[in-house]
Amino acid sequence: MDSVDDILSDIVADVDAVFLFSPNSSFYERFEGDATTVVVAPENTVDAATFVELPIEFTNIRDRIRFGIEGAMDDDVVAEGDTVACVGSMFNGETDTAVRVRVSEDLRSGLYDLFTNSRADPTVIRNVFEVALELGRKGQKGSPVGALFVVGDAGKVMNKSRPLSYNPFEKSHVHVGDPIVNVMLKEFSRLDGAFVISDSGKIVSAYRYLEPSAEGIDIPKGLGARHMAGGSITRDTNATAIVLSESDGLVRAFKGGELTLELDPEEY
Amino acid sequence: MVSALQLVLPEWLAVVAPEIWIAILIVLLGVGLGYLTIVGGRRLLERFGIDDAVEGTAVERTASEYGTSTVGLITRLAGYFVVLISLFVAGTFTDIQFASLFLRAAAVFLPQLAIALLILVIGIVIGDKVEVLVAERLRGVKLPEISVIPASARYSVLFVAVLIALGQIGVATNALIVLLGAYALAVIVFTAIATQELLASGAVGVYLLLTEPYSIGDEVAVAGQQGIVQEVDLFVTRIDTNGEEHIIPNRTVLREGIVRIQQ
Repeated sequence: MDSVDDILSDIVADVDAVFLFSPNSSFYERFEGDATTVVVAPENTVDAATFVELPIEFTNIRDRIRFGIEGAMDDDVVAEGDTVACVGSMFNGETDTAVRVRVSEDLRSGLYDLFTNSRADPTVIRNVFEVALELGRKGQKGSPVGALFVVGDAGKVMNKSRPLSYNPFEKSHVHVGDPIVNVMLKEFSRLDGAFVISDSGKIVSAYRYLEPSAEGIDIPKGLGARHMAGGSITRDTNATAIVLSESDGLVRAFKGGELTLELDPEEY
Repeated sequence: MVSALQLVLPEWLAVVAPEIWIAILIVLLGVGLGYLTIVGGRRLLERFGIDDAVEGTAVERTASEYGTSTVGLITRLAGYFVVLISLFVAGTFTDIQFASLFLRAAAVFLPQLAIALLILVIGIVIGDKVEVLVAERLRGVKLPEISVIPASARYSVLFVAVLIALGQIGVATNALIVLLGAYALAVIVFTAIATQELLASGAVGVYLLLTEPYSIGDEVAVAGQQGIVQEVDLFVTRIDTNGEEHIIPNRTVLREGIVRIQQ
């Protein structure tokens, strides 16, 4: 058993900070007063001094760690070259994982920026993600459905697109996150075209045909016109595009013309 | 009658006059009733959820420091009052002449005082509760000076309670009522002046949201600023011009007019 203990102590040896992922309060208390403890969780339930809010519970532990470290780097808690230990749960909510990570700028994938430094409100982006994930999980009457949401910088997006038909959201004042909206979006996702959502979460339009220049946009092979349109509109504007693929059922987010996040609705 | 009583009752009872015995009985009864008032009142108030309603107020905290609670305070006040009344009733049966004049005056004044005290306690409790509620509402606003608002709400309630209590015990409160009027007027006038811009913008905002003369994505020129509408809310319109975002109050939009630029 000695060697296993050695491995564990090697992992946590000389770390500059400890990242706790969704700890409960008694677990957090054991770390209180220690060097630098960063809590990464959807909600600050333990009143931690340094806290990074998780907008969605990434099931992929890499995404979770990456998000936490990017957030801490943004708050100047850790800097490039630091070594941190991440303690969290991979399976059923119990603390079962310790990961040693060397902080470097390479870790920045834009994942943290996607939520916190976008034009749109972080809660709006989270709400749109939730709608897209739910749509991906349930589909439209059982069959898979695709959808394209363009969030933020709505004025420019509207200017760089045109209507395919009448806008069902004209003169309506609905916001993502309103209870009825999920059903509405689900029904309207049958229509072709993109949803345009403003910075404050107002659904500006459906049925939009995006007309950005797609030149030089590099998206993974095999993805179709919807992803191409979503990716390229985010390069031409400050918007974020959240795309639900009809063929593979994944939710992808684009920002600045690049794919920054890929989620599987079945895991949430 | 007296002789018949003397026959039935033992010898030692006759040492003091029967009036004294009746008086003692009434006082004992009063103490019992007072106790019942305290216990019953507590149950009644607790059933109405008063103890939960006053949770976290300053009165409750002070009361619990002295090992009691607001509910206990009020019920005890009522209980003592019942005992006091029984004392007066008992007093009328005795022949304590020298005190009767004072007692008669007190019998009129004491209930008023008790009610005034009750009003004061209720006023303090409500004031505290208002302060707590307003402070909770404003907790999202991170501004140190904001604590003035809950405090002033509390003192307003307290002021009214003191006024009613003083009126109850017959103190001339006309001057204070004038003061209250002036205070209320000042609050209304200052609020109106302070929020007139917001009110005007809000009224225009309702019109803009309902009729949508221009919507997000339109290119417009308002108040010398030309750009693409990014957002229209109740109070302001945001217009984006080459990376500059102009936030224009809605009243300006209506006063100066909008130019929609067609492609």
